[in-house]
Amino acid sequence: MANSIITITNMKKQYPEGKGKFTALDDINLSINSGEFTGIVGPSGSGKTTLLNIIGSLDVPTEGEVITLGESIGKLTHRKAAKLRNKNIGFIFQTYNLLPVYSVYENVEFPLLLLKMSASKRKKAVLDALEWLGLTDKIKSRPGQLSGGECQRVAVARAMVKLPEIVLADEPTANLDAENAHNILKMMSKLNKELNTTFLFSTHDEKVIQYLTRQILLKDGKVVG
Amino acid sequence: MLSIKLAFRNLIGAGLRTWLNVIVLSFSFVIIIWNKGVLNGWNEQARHDMVEWQIGGGQYWQENYDPYDMFTINESHSAIPQEFKNDIANNEMTPILINTGTIYPDGRMQNVILNGIMPNQKVLKIPTEKLENNSNEISVLIGKRMAKNNKLEVGDYFPIRWRDANETFDASDAKVVGIFNSNVPVIDQGKIWISLQQLQKMLVTPNEATMLITKNVDRKNAEVDGWIFRDHKFLLSDMDEIIRMKNVGGSIFYLILLALALLAIFDTQVLSIFRRQKEIGTEIALGMTRWQVVRLFTVEGAMYSIFAAVLAAIYGIPLLALQAKNGFPMPEAADSYGLPIAKAIYPTYSLGLIFGTVFVIFIATLIVSYLPAKKISKINPTDAIKGKIQ
Ligand SMILES: Nc1ncnc2c1ncn2[C@@H]1O[C@H](COP(=O)(O)OP(=O)(O)O)[C@@H](O)[C@H]1O
Ligand SMILES: [Mg+2]
Repeated sequence: MANSIITITNMKKQYPEGKGKFTALDDINLSINSGEFTGIVGPSGSGKTTLLNIIGSLDVPTEGEVITLGESIGKLTHRKAAKLRNKNIGFIFQTYNLLPVYSVYENVEFPLLLLKMSASKRKKAVLDALEWLGLTDKIKSRPGQLSGGECQRVAVARAMVKLPEIVLADEPTANLDAENAHNILKMMSKLNKELNTTFLFSTHDEKVIQYLTRQILLKDGKVVG
Repeated sequence: MLSIKLAFRNLIGAGLRTWLNVIVLSFSFVIIIWNKGVLNGWNEQARHDMVEWQIGGGQYWQENYDPYDMFTINESHSAIPQEFKNDIANNEMTPILINTGTIYPDGRMQNVILNGIMPNQKVLKIPTEKLENNSNEISVLIGKRMAKNNKLEVGDYFPIRWRDANETFDASDAKVVGIFNSNVPVIDQGKIWISLQQLQKMLVTPNEATMLITKNVDRKNAEVDGWIFRDHKFLLSDMDEIIRMKNVGGSIFYLILLALALLAIFDTQVLSIFRRQKEIGTEIALGMTRWQVVRLFTVEGAMYSIFAAVLAAIYGIPLLALQAKNGFPMPEAADSYGLPIAKAIYPTYSLGLIFGTVFVIFIATLIVSYLPAKKISKINPTDAIKGKIQ
């Protein structure tokens, strides 16, 4: 597996629960290659979000090892984890999570400001990303003025603008109607092909599943296929 | 730099919530600076008046003289030192002879201090030239407060009684030849001004004085046997103390105002950190460290004071400038402080005052913003992203 950019070995994730522990993920072994368009598919509560968060360095495994882009997640400092996310990982959430007081432009620009990109490069990258997602006429709008579909497109633009290696999308279509869901998926699929960005979804939505090139089935914290 | 840019965006984006805090804080700025400016103006005016009317450039006191001890005042005079004769002749210095006395205006008795002063002196602003006359009767000059309290007018006569250097009581009628109007109550209330020569004659203390007032504050004041030089620092210390007390009093008032403004910011911050969990989680997911977010929220809070300073400048500068030009009218009753107070005080604003106030408020907002923001460093980002209140 020369091209593996995510490697998980014997990973377990437990949360404290009362006096004992609750095991959210158990004995996970996975490898994701660069350029995949993969989905972690499973019912609610199966541990999909937990898995994505750990891969994305927002959380740490309790046992085992998770290596994302060569970095062992359990051993990263806060600062290094932040840097990894900022440079190489784009997040898309079920509830969009746009910054409410910023315009569409400012939301998409945000990751580039953290990257300390020069103003002219930043502007070009933001405008390009907005164009890919068909948002050019919404530049000045605030998230509150947008529909759900538009919000999620802004979120995709924000994830893609820095041309990350990996995009982690946690149930991105859960709050969208069929038309918007297909729209978003087509765009992401196109970006995957054109830019070779690795996409890792979490979903239990049939509409998403039909676009995936690989499915990882998760049930009660375990990979079942 | 980044946190400044983002904080600015956040505040502008937040709209009304920002402006409410900024407006309240800007009041603190203007009121603190105004309050201090009025005190400064008053201080300067009071000093100026005291120098012109009462203390001159400094005073030589006869070594026994203590203005607060009525019992020794009558023993606190001696011959004017030879070395001062030239300065007195040149109006660089003027002698004052002080003694107690009693007057009976309208038949009522009142203890007073008799001040002998040369009618042609040019050291104090008191219009002593009115005392120049050749008649044998006692001519006196009094201040407007003294005149009002005793219902005296120019031309009125009243009996005056004193004890001369030989412990002998003597009495005579005195005539009011002038009433002067000064902001300095000390030279007015309970004081009678008489020509020096006249008083020396009354007390049988020819050529003696209690103090010598110099005109120029820069004068070289050599040591003279039997006399103690009192400089401005000494002579103005009572006033400095009162101004300091007024300052403390004023401070309490605007500290409360400032505390209210800071509380509003603190409150906004605490609320923000609860309400904006999802935002915080998202920012962390996008690659900010938790400490970067703490810094962002802290800068955001502190930036209220910058906005407030700008707003305060917009309406405060014209307002304060207008008042510095037209003066701040003082109520008549203000006289009872015993300090020289003009009808209107012209506030003075120094750059130090303005920048000092801005700096102090900036630091204060920085602290009240940091304290709640510090909590962010303990936030769990995966919960925050979901908007779970932690
Ligand atoms: N911070 C947490 N503390 C305790 N339990 C958690 C926490 N986060 C998730 N869980 C539990 O772990 C399990 C998996 O959750 P999650 O990863 O959110 O599943 P999914 O995304 O597949 O719906 C759930 O049973 C959930 O209750
Ligand atoms: Mg989930």
